[in-house]
Amino acid sequence: MDDKQLRCLVALQDIDNMILESENEKKLGFKTKGINKLQKIREEVGQQINPSMLRAYERLHKKYRRGVVPVKNNICLGCFVKLPTSITTRGKENIVVFSCENCGRILYWLD
Amino acid sequence: MNIDEFLGYFKEEFFIKDLKSKSKNDILEEMVNHIADQSTLKDSTLILEMLKRREEIGSTGIGHGIAIPHGRTISVPDLITVYGKSANSIEFDAIDKKPVNMVFMIIAPPQEQSNTYLPFLGKLVDILNSKKVRKELINANTFEEFTLALAGGF
Repeated sequence: MDDKQLRCLVALQDIDNMILESENEKKLGFKTKGINKLQKIREEVGQQINPSMLRAYERLHKKYRRGVVPVKNNICLGCFVKLPTSITTRGKENIVVFSCENCGRILYWLD
Repeated sequence: MNIDEFLGYFKEEFFIKDLKSKSKNDILEEMVNHIADQSTLKDSTLILEMLKRREEIGSTGIGHGIAIPHGRTISVPDLITVYGKSANSIEFDAIDKKPVNMVFMIIAPPQEQSNTYLPFLGKLVDILNSKKVRKELINANTFEEFTLALAGGF
């Protein structure tokens, strides 16, 4: 697992957020006619992700809506549980994809 | 959202009075680079990718020379707002087909506890519907003049 995989997971979640919020944006007067294009881009980004990681993301997205969550001050911002030192010391490099031991969400370090 | 909360999202370091770029994608990149220069973001390229993908759904040019590129990404810890003004006429595929010279960039984390992103975006669109505000904004050359113009439309 490398940095590219994590970046693709973040991109996938950003796309999912856009799709979910397109109706709200439409109400504000923004153009959203190209939403189908985004579905295609989502597929392309998804193809760059390891299949087992993608399945894990889809499962988490269905359960929590946010499958990838930031870590701030060594706290998972999905369930607000402090992460063990063994994860926080290695996770900051974002080279290895870690999951929260409490909620299972995929972690992304902001600092 | 009261006026102080609303104006509190604009920071002087994120006020750009003279954008240099001449195309939509270059403007997005220039503004994201400005954020990266003024903050400690770990990976600003994810923001740029998100904003470009958002433009694929439909242009964020709302007409009258204004664009509001926006979206959510995990790459930012808090809501960030950047304003840039340009002497150039930038083709943005805006709703009225007219070029853009004022750009408000709004980036929010996927979920905020206070959930201010959409109300903030809605309020901004509402304020920018005022012809008087738009005229004052285009003439604003300092951050103070800029916030006064926005406050006038609140």
